[in-house]
Amino acid sequence: MSHPKERRFGRKEFLQRSAAGAVALSGMSTLLAACGGSQSSARETLTLARQDNPVKWPIFKDNQAIASGLEPEKATLQIFNWNGYLWPRSMKEFGKQYGVDVRMTTFDTSDEAISKLTSGGLSFDVFFPFPDRLGQLIVGKALQPLNHSYLPNLQKTIWPSLRSPFYDVGSQYTVPYTIYTTGIGYRKDMVQQTPAEYSNPYEIYWDGRNKGKTFLLDDGREAPIHMLLKNGVTDINTEKPDDIALFERELKSLIKPVHVKLSTNDYTNIPQGIASVHQAWSGSMVSAKWYLPQGTGTDVLGYWFPKDGHGTIGNDMMGVPRSAKSPVLAHHFINFMLDDKNGYDNFAQYNGYQPPFVTINPDRLISDGVIPKNLTSAVVRESDFKRAYFLLELSPTGQAAWQNAWASFKAGV
Amino acid sequence: MTAAEATVAIPRRSTLTRLQDWWANPWGRPRFLVLATALYLVWSIIPILIAIRFSFNEGRSRSTSQGWSLRWYYGDPDLSVWHDPDLRSALFQSLRLAGIAVLVTVPLGVALAIGLTRWRGRGAGTSNFISMIPLVTPEIVMGTALLLVFIHLLRFIPLGTPAQAIGHITFSLVFVLVIVRGRLLAIGPEYEEAAQDLGASRLQAVRLALLPMLAPAIVASVIVVFAISMDDFVVSAFLSSGSSTDTVPVRIYSTGRTAPTPALNALATLTLGITIAIAAVLFVLWKLVQSRRGPAETGVEAFASGLE
Amino acid sequence: MSDGSAARSSRSEERRRSTAGWSLLALPGVVWVCFFFLLPFYAVLCVAFGTVDPILQTPRPAWNPLDWNTSAFQFVSDNLFTWHGPFEIVFVRTFFYVLIATTLSLLIAYPVAYYVARHGGRWKGLLLLGLIAPFFISYLMRMLAWINLLQDDGWVNKVLLWIGLLSEPRTWLDGRASSVILGLVYGYVPYMILPLYAFLDRIDRNVLEAARDLGASPAQAFRLVTFPLSIPAVLAGCVIIALPMFGDYYTPDLLSGSPQTSMIGNEINLYIRGGQQIPIGAALVVVLMLFLGLLMGYYLVVTARAQRRLTA
Repeated sequence: MSHPKERRFGRKEFLQRSAAGAVALSGMSTLLAACGGSQSSARETLTLARQDNPVKWPIFKDNQAIASGLEPEKATLQIFNWNGYLWPRSMKEFGKQYGVDVRMTTFDTSDEAISKLTSGGLSFDVFFPFPDRLGQLIVGKALQPLNHSYLPNLQKTIWPSLRSPFYDVGSQYTVPYTIYTTGIGYRKDMVQQTPAEYSNPYEIYWDGRNKGKTFLLDDGREAPIHMLLKNGVTDINTEKPDDIALFERELKSLIKPVHVKLSTNDYTNIPQGIASVHQAWSGSMVSAKWYLPQGTGTDVLGYWFPKDGHGTIGNDMMGVPRSAKSPVLAHHFINFMLDDKNGYDNFAQYNGYQPPFVTINPDRLISDGVIPKNLTSAVVRESDFKRAYFLLELSPTGQAAWQNAWASFKAGV
Repeated sequence: MTAAEATVAIPRRSTLTRLQDWWANPWGRPRFLVLATALYLVWSIIPILIAIRFSFNEGRSRSTSQGWSLRWYYGDPDLSVWHDPDLRSALFQSLRLAGIAVLVTVPLGVALAIGLTRWRGRGAGTSNFISMIPLVTPEIVMGTALLLVFIHLLRFIPLGTPAQAIGHITFSLVFVLVIVRGRLLAIGPEYEEAAQDLGASRLQAVRLALLPMLAPAIVASVIVVFAISMDDFVVSAFLSSGSSTDTVPVRIYSTGRTAPTPALNALATLTLGITIAIAAVLFVLWKLVQSRRGPAETGVEAFASGLE
Repeated sequence: MSDGSAARSSRSEERRRSTAGWSLLALPGVVWVCFFFLLPFYAVLCVAFGTVDPILQTPRPAWNPLDWNTSAFQFVSDNLFTWHGPFEIVFVRTFFYVLIATTLSLLIAYPVAYYVARHGGRWKGLLLLGLIAPFFISYLMRMLAWINLLQDDGWVNKVLLWIGLLSEPRTWLDGRASSVILGLVYGYVPYMILPLYAFLDRIDRNVLEAARDLGASPAQAFRLVTFPLSIPAVLAGCVIIALPMFGDYYTPDLLSGSPQTSMIGNEINLYIRGGQQIPIGAALVVVLMLFLGLLMGYYLVVTARAQRRLTA
């Protein structure tokens, strides 16, 4: 390793040195505590929004919405979003209209997104939050309230039921971006049996014939939920230790027979044939057609979602982080994406995730060919929200319990 | 045909028998070792050559040969390295970080090495010891430690280029230290002492006697720092502020698992080409210096003996 | 004692006293290491021993050791020291992967280094170039190359099918330990060859010739002289590749992506970058460092002993 002359540390000496170091460091710690920034002083508690428990979030004195009538900043707009979730041309178009640069930073998992957003080291102007972490972001003051005077399109384009949703009554902090269900995507030409052909469709994940080609979403909420639904547990936001132990067991039982893999790139893994069975978001299935190899038709793609609508549903939102450097521009961007044409183009030309627009008629999407006929099940209707199970926020202890079970699964067996 | 030529031709045997003789000959080089080395070199280089080949593929596949083109470097209007802003910025970010790392680390490391080697006072042992720890620390440990300190304590250093550059300097510092110190121990203190005996001040002794003798080690350090900075993945990924500060390895990691196009191979090939070009230029430069100064140990040996 | 020698000795005395002056040169580097290496480690400790923000779940480091809270370590040890606890599983798996990969690396590296050092001859320069080439190729690119080769329709399957070793293509990337270990060996072996080469190249040939003169066969000379002499270098090579390998998470991610092959680095990555329970990730880092510190200590003891035996 080193020159013999320098290899002269006995164990004892090492211990002495490190002990001396520890003492020196502990003296320094008071100094350090003084310069380390403090986090939210959150004395507030987290309310859990449920369909039967709508929540109107407080507006905090030290976190107010921007004033009305401000000029948009002439600065680069920083967007923080999922990979492949926003049409680059929409960004270009907006940039051209406002004479600014638009840059996007992407994340792969929701945990990664939250941890980057709350780390304090980074600042973004537009973020795309999800209901399962919304309260945390609002009460933790990571999002700023919206000023609706910049968002006239909200009342024009969005489904009435989502103009003031139960998870954010009055749309104070967020506006809807997309809606989606979570089902099972598959390659018809690669599986022996489609999910609907199993007595319990979720059983397809355990089918050894798809070994090495079975994927779950790399998401500590979504993947466990399919384990719960397979066992008839319909409270998908459960915090019961028994339920958590159940999904942990079920997840682990997938490792040996099929070597289950984890990814959030369902929209490329399925069309590219990397996966034959993939837990998938409906929107990913719609955009999967862009990633099919040349000469492969869209008819090889399949998406299963319970016919009775009893599956996972969710919607993503748009919001402005409190750390935004160009909040006015960010409001303008959100309004831009709420515009009928811009929102539709982003969906139909690229993203595949449907915006909840009143003008989008699901049947027309199919007849227009935006959604192939064999993927009709990937269309989301306003009525679906009444029957499906909404993926929502857990309490901090619940979140920790889910994450530990997830980490335990990820450790393998 | 003359008689002489005929006699030369007679002992010529079939290739097969020659091969058999070569294998059975107990007096030459050990055959097993020849085979092992040859296999190793093939095994280590062929996959890279194949990856490079697919960067020139005409088609989208990275496993089936589909003609030759520069489509993935320049031709493709959306997906080529030149036209995809993410790939292009990854290349520039890698180069930017490697450049900063070389400029800061090499002077810092040379000074550190001279100081630690020639300084025999109290505390020298401790600092020697501490400076060696980073060499065997897993990158994920370093990445975590730096991430946490930048988020919670040194908040004036933002994630992104500044944090990444500091990370790169920190882990490459040790390599410079090791390389330069190896050389210093080989030279011994006699030269500066002689210079000082001749009336030079200590700084003059360093500048006039020591630095020229350290030149090979310094060149080796530059090459090594550049290469390991370009190679780094974990620290760059942990300290990245987003797609604009993703480096080439980070980009390879995030798209390598999904559905990459040959543009990713093109990006990797460009990185490789640039690293090799810079190493080659420095190597030639150093050869020129060396030819003026007489034989010295090679950079590789300096690096290797330093590691060991 | 003559005047001249007295003057000389006083000058060297003066020089010795003034060596502290050299510390000025070392100062910036030492300060740098303290600030950006030691301080970050202290931050890891304080996060591991800290708490989290009740709402955002972001860490609240405990800078004062008197405030340290051990719940994260409690959690880690509960899952590490119980039979089939998740961290136990992943630690044991990591250990075996590293052990196998290091052994394979040694089996590959030693003959190659030995050959180039001893029998390189006029090809030595070129061979050396081949040995250092991997240093100029990013680790991730070398993994990318293997992803290309191991795809279902990749060259590995094509070649194996052509030879007839396989009757149908195998999915190499479906979460196999063998693919991950192959990746580790491929990725790390160059770092072992180089130090081994440097050492073997420097073994005094006179020693070997003496052994030969005393009637030892080449094999005996190797077994009795070269190999024992090279043990410290072998150990150094093992340490240089094994310790970093313990923190690897990208190799299993790229070549497998299945929980089947998770290494300890994957769990650290999950907790550190997954928000929510960063103290647990930090505690895992501390535990990993302690473990590696033990390995390192063992290495130092063994090499010191080997050194003594050689000099005795």
